[in-house]
Amino acid sequence: MKKNDTDRDRDRWQILYIPDKPPIPPNQQQPTVNVFASIIDPKLANTLIRRLNQIAPLENFRHVKRIRKKQLEGGKTELLVILCLASENDNHLDTMQHDVRELVNSYQLSAFITKVCKFPASSKEEWEEQCKLWPTSYHPPTYNIDGITGFNEEDSQSVFSFMRFAVELAKSGDGSVTNAAVIVDPSVKQVIASARDEICSWNIPTNNQTSSFKQPDTWNSINYVLVPLVLYPWRWSEQELYMPKSSCWHPLRHAAIVVIESSAARDRQLFPDLGENEHKSFELDHVHSSTSSPAKRQKVNLENVEDTEKLDTLTEGCHSVAARPYLCTGYDIYLVWEPCIMCAMALVHQRIRRIFYAFPNPNAGALGSVHRLQGEKSLNHHYAVFRVLLPEEVLSVEL
Amino acid sequence: MASHEEDCSPDTLAFMELAIQQMASHEGDCSPDTLAFMELAIQQARLAMDSLEVPVGCVIVEDGKVIASGRNRTTETRNATRHAEMEAIDILLEHWQKNGLSKLEVAEKFSNCYLYVTCEPCIMCAASLSILGIKEVCYGCANDKFGGCGSILSLHLGSSEPLKSHGVPQGKGFKCTGGIMASEAVSLLRTFYEQGNPNAPKPHRPLAHQATH
Repeated sequence: MKKNDTDRDRDRWQILYIPDKPPIPPNQQQPTVNVFASIIDPKLANTLIRRLNQIAPLENFRHVKRIRKKQLEGGKTELLVILCLASENDNHLDTMQHDVRELVNSYQLSAFITKVCKFPASSKEEWEEQCKLWPTSYHPPTYNIDGITGFNEEDSQSVFSFMRFAVELAKSGDGSVTNAAVIVDPSVKQVIASARDEICSWNIPTNNQTSSFKQPDTWNSINYVLVPLVLYPWRWSEQELYMPKSSCWHPLRHAAIVVIESSAARDRQLFPDLGENEHKSFELDHVHSSTSSPAKRQKVNLENVEDTEKLDTLTEGCHSVAARPYLCTGYDIYLVWEPCIMCAMALVHQRIRRIFYAFPNPNAGALGSVHRLQGEKSLNHHYAVFRVLLPEEVLSVEL
Repeated sequence: MASHEEDCSPDTLAFMELAIQQMASHEGDCSPDTLAFMELAIQQARLAMDSLEVPVGCVIVEDGKVIASGRNRTTETRNATRHAEMEAIDILLEHWQKNGLSKLEVAEKFSNCYLYVTCEPCIMCAASLSILGIKEVCYGCANDKFGGCGSILSLHLGSSEPLKSHGVPQGKGFKCTGGIMASEAVSLLRTFYEQGNPNAPKPHRPLAHQATH
C-alpha cells in the first residue's frame, strides 16, 4: 500500500540536536554592561575583594573576572578590580552604590567606568573578543562531539536500533508509564547496562498486560491508574493504595540512576583490581609528599598511572585499557523520556558523552523542557543532547 | 590571593571568594546545635578523606537526633552519583521500609528532617531533596560549579509555576542556609585537591600550578 507524505513523515525516524542555547547570530556586537573599576594596590587586593564580594557581588556575571592584571611597559603589572555595576546612562560617580563609595573613599581609589561583556562567551573567538574589554572565563562547548553536525546513515541506524531497544524495555513493564535507560559504548556498538525505573517496585514479575505508548500530546486521553512518576517525580508518596505491600520502593531510583549504578557495578566486576592499584600509587605519592616538591609529586603519580595501565593490559588480557574508561566517558545513553534535573545532573557526574531521548517531559524535563542543563557553562562536563523522533508503529505493543 | 591570579584556576579563585563571602555573612549567628551537627558532618567528610574520597559529609537530623549520616563514596563505587546525601537518604529509606512505614509515613518523616552537609548540595542532590520533601538544609561552603541551592540553580526554592492539570506545585522547596563552618569545609577540600585527586581524569592544565599556593 502506498503512503502519502504525511504518513511517511510520521513513520520516519529522525534525530534532532537540542542545543545548549538558541544560536547567536555571527558578526553581532556582544552586549556589554558598564561597571565601575579602579586600579588597586596588590597588597590591598585580598581585603578589597572580600569586602566587594559582600557588598557588591557580581551575581549575574559569573563569567566576568573580578580582577584584571594588566601588563605595563617595562615588565610592570598593575591590578584593576571591578567595584560594582554602573548605570547604563548616568555615568557620574555619585550613582555608585553607597557602601562601595565609602570603600572607594576610605582607600582613596580612583573609580572609572569601563565595559564588560554581559553574557558568557560561547566560542573561543567570542571569548578572545571579550577579553579585550575585560577578562572573562570561558568553558568550551561540546562542539567536538559526534553527531552535532549530523549523523551518517550507519550511525543513524545504530541510534535508532538502540532507541528501539530502550522503548521495548520501557514497554516490558507492568503497563504503567515508565522510563527506560540504556548505556551504550558507541565505539563497539555494545550495550553496557540497561534499566527501567525502580521507583515503585523492583524484582517483581511483570504482568502480561497490554500497554501502549503515545506521543506526549495525547497523554490526557489516557486513563491512568497510577500517577506517571516519569512526569511527576515529586508525587511518589501518593500511590499507597495501588502498591503491593511487599514490594520495595525508592522515590529516587529513576531509570538513569539505576543504569548508572549497574554500569558502575559492571566496571567493578570487569576491572576489580583497578581500585587497589590506584590506592597503592596514591599511598606511595602520599609518603613522598612531605619531602618532594609538588612538581615532582606529580611526576611520580603519572609514572604510577602508566604502571597501572601496563599492569591492567597484562592482567586483563581480553579487556584492553581502551575499554576501561573513566566512569562513562565516551558512552551514550538512550532514554525513552527526557530526564529530570536529578538524572540529568547524575549523567553529568558520570561523564556521559551523548544523551538521546524520545519524549520531552514538559513537567520535569531538564534538557530543554523545564531546565536546559546542557547549557550550564559552570559544570565540569558537558554532553550533547539529541531527541529521537519515533515512527508510531514503534510505540504500540503486541503481547 | 588576588596577586596570585595567574597561579589559581579561575574556578578555584571564585570558589574561595564565595566561601569567604559566606563565612563572613553567617559565622557567628548559628545556634550551638547547628554547629554541633555540622561538626558531625565534617567528621563524615574526614572519613571520606581518609578513604581517598572527595571530602564531603553529612548528617540527617530528626527531632534533634542524628538518624543517618553519609559521606562521599564515588571512588569506591565508581559511581559518581554516590554523594554523601544520597548515602544518607538510602540508609533512611531502607530503614523505614524495613520498619514497615508506608510511603505517606516516609514522606511525613522526610518533611521533619534537617540535613547538615559540609558543601552545598549539587544540582542532583538538591533535586533529590526536593523530590523527597526535606524540611531544611544547612550547608558549609558554596558549590560554585554544581550547586543546586543558589550557586548554579535554586532548586530549594521549588517551582512557583503550578501544574496546569493538577494545580500541584512541581518539586517542593526547602529552607536553606549556607556558610556554616565554611572555612573547615573548604580547608578539607583544599587539602584534598592540593594533594591531587588520584581519580580525576588527567587535567587540562598542569596540577603543579594548583599546588603551589
